[in-house]
Amino acid sequence: MTKVVLMDKSGNLLSAIKGPTGPEHRQLANEVMRQALEQASLQINDISYIVATGYGRLNVPFADRQITELSCHARGVSSLFPNVRTAIDIGGQDAKCMKIANGRLTNFVMNDKCAAGTGRFLEVTAATLGIRLEDMGGISLNATKKIQISNLCTIFAQQEVVALLSHGEKPENILAGLHDALASRVAALVRRLGIEPDLVLTGGVAKNIGMVRAMKESLGCELFVPEEPLLTGALGAAILAKEIYMKAAAEGEALPTKSRRLEKATFFT
Amino acid sequence: MSDKNKGLSKAQEIYLNRSQRARELRAAGKKIIGYPCVYVPLEMLTALDLVPYQTCGDIKEPVTEADRALPHSFCPIMRNCLDCALKGKDDFLDGMITIHSCDPQEKTARVWESYTNYPYFHFIDMPITVRPEALEYFKSQLNDFRKTLEAFTGKKLSTDKLEAAIKSHNQQRALVRELYELTKPSPPLISGTEIVQVLKALAGLPVVEGNDLLTETISEVKNRTAGSEKKSARLLIWSSILDDTDIMQVFETKANVVMNESCGGIRAYRAGVKFTADPLEGLADYYLNEITCARTFRQATLGETKKDYARDLQSRFGYLKGIIKEWKINGAIMLLVRYCDPFAFEIPSLKDYFDSLGVPSTYIEYDYTTGALAPLRTRVEAFLETIS
Repeated sequence: MTKVVLMDKSGNLLSAIKGPTGPEHRQLANEVMRQALEQASLQINDISYIVATGYGRLNVPFADRQITELSCHARGVSSLFPNVRTAIDIGGQDAKCMKIANGRLTNFVMNDKCAAGTGRFLEVTAATLGIRLEDMGGISLNATKKIQISNLCTIFAQQEVVALLSHGEKPENILAGLHDALASRVAALVRRLGIEPDLVLTGGVAKNIGMVRAMKESLGCELFVPEEPLLTGALGAAILAKEIYMKAAAEGEALPTKSRRLEKATFFT
Repeated sequence: MSDKNKGLSKAQEIYLNRSQRARELRAAGKKIIGYPCVYVPLEMLTALDLVPYQTCGDIKEPVTEADRALPHSFCPIMRNCLDCALKGKDDFLDGMITIHSCDPQEKTARVWESYTNYPYFHFIDMPITVRPEALEYFKSQLNDFRKTLEAFTGKKLSTDKLEAAIKSHNQQRALVRELYELTKPSPPLISGTEIVQVLKALAGLPVVEGNDLLTETISEVKNRTAGSEKKSARLLIWSSILDDTDIMQVFETKANVVMNESCGGIRAYRAGVKFTADPLEGLADYYLNEITCARTFRQATLGETKKDYARDLQSRFGYLKGIIKEWKINGAIMLLVRYCDPFAFEIPSLKDYFDSLGVPSTYIEYDYTTGALAPLRTRVEAFLETIS
C-alpha cells in the first residue's frame, strides 16, 4: 500500500489517503498523491516539503528527502501517543520494534529471518483456511481452546494447519493458535529491546482484534492501537517534513527541493 | 589521472578478476595453493615458493552445486566457496589447505577433499583456546603441515627461508596498518570500499607483489588533494567477513566506514609475527593468539573460577577500545553472516562492551549474497538516523 498524509504548518491533517502500490513503485506514488491533493483541494506546487519513507522511499520522484520507516513510525506514533516508549509495527513485509524517547527513535530491532513474525504469516494461513484476512480476528474470538502451532516457518505452519483441519479441528481454534504463535514470535523480538510502557501496536496486523488480544497476552501488558494503524509511517513522514521545513524557515535557510512534477516516472531512463 | 596499472586502479582490476594473476603465474610454472581462511600460515607457503590464493567464493554466484554436498542451513560462506570449487572455478589450484578455525570449515574440508582432486590437500587441526597446551599442540600441527609441504614440493623448509617469508608477510601487515592510518582524518583519505578492493586483491597475489601494490596505493592516496566525501558518521564494522564492495556500499552510501574489523578488513593484519628461535613457535603464537576471530575462546584469566563480566569483556573485546578512540568511531555495526554461531554468540556481550564505552551499536544480519540489500539499507539508515 502507498499512503499519503498532507499536513499544514500548524500540524493540522489536510488529507490522508491509502492506495495500492503496484509492482512498479514509482508509477503509482503520483496517483495516490493526486488523490490526496484532490481531497485537500491543493495543487502539487502548494506543498512546501515532501518526505518519502518505506521500502519504496527512493522511488518517489517528487520527494525532497528520504527517511526510513523506523524513524517515521516512531515520530508518527509518538504524536498520537505522547507517552509511548515502545512501538511495534507488524506489516506484510516485516515486523519492527522501536524504542522511542522524546518523540524520537532511539533503538530498534526488525525480524531478520523470513516471513515468520510478519503479517504474511496470517495472509498465507488465512488463504489455507478459506477465511478473509479481515475476518480472522473476529472468528478467533470464538475459540474454545488455543491450538499450539509449533512451526514458525510460514510454509510449515501452513502444512500444520492443513493437517489440523484434516483431523477435524475447528478453524476458530486454529486461528487462536496462529495468532498466539505470531504474537509470541514478535514478543520475543520486543524483549530483545526491553518492554517499556506505553506500548503501541501499528501496521495492518493491528487491525486484527485477535492479534491485538494475543499480543497483549504474550507481552503481559496493555497495548494501545491508533485509529488508523496503517497511516502512522506516513503521518510521521509528514510531521518530520513539517519540522525540517519549519526549522529551515526559522533559520532563514533555503531548503533544496525536487521538481514538483506529478508525472508517472519511468525506470531506467 | 592515476596510472591504470598501479595502486588503486590495479587493485580494482584484480578485485574484479581475482584469479587472473594466479592463472598467469601458474602458466609460468608456479604452484598455486588455495586456502579459505586467514588462519592458514601463509609464510610457510611463501617460503617454499608456493603462491597462496584465498578462495573467497563468489558472493554474486547463486549456490547450486554445493547443495548436493552440504546441508542448507549452514555457513553461507563455506557453501559458496565449495560451490565455486565444485563448478570448477578454482581449476587453477595445485592444492588446498583447510583449517579447523570453525566447525563449518572442518566439516566442509572433508567434503572438499572428496569432491575435488587437487594434487595436494592438507587439513590443519587448530585448537580453540589460547592455553599454553593449545599453543604446543598447534605448533605440532604446524610441524605436520611443514612435512606434507616438504613432501609435496620436494624441498626442505629451511629456517632462513621461513624467516625471510615472515619478514615479507610482516611487512605486508605493517603496510595494511599504514593504509588504515589514512582513514583516520575526517573525511578519510581512502574509503572503506576502496580498502575492500585492495585487501581482496592482496589475498590473490604473491606477498611481494601485494607489498608493491600496497606501497603504490599508500603513496597514491597520500597525494590526494581531497579525501572521500565526509558523511554523517564514522563507523566501525565488526564482522566475520565483509569483503564485497556492494555490501560495503550499503554502509558507505551514508557513512564513512573507517574500520573494517573482519576478514575482509584489518583482522589478519593487526599485529605481526614475532621472531623466535624456532620460527614455527612465532607463527603458532601469532595465528592462535593475535588474530581476533570469535572462533577462539578467550578467558579473562586462565583457571579463573570467579565471574567478572567486565574483565571478561575486556579480554574478549579490549582491542576495540583503542580502535574506537584512535579512529574517532561514533557508531559500531555488528554485521553477522547468517548461521555463523561463533559471531552470533558474541553479539550480546559485545553490545554490552560498546555500551560501556558509550558507542552506539546495532546488529545486522546478511546471508553472503548481494541479492536483497534493501532491508539491510533500511536497518543501516535507521541506525544512522538514531545517532545523527
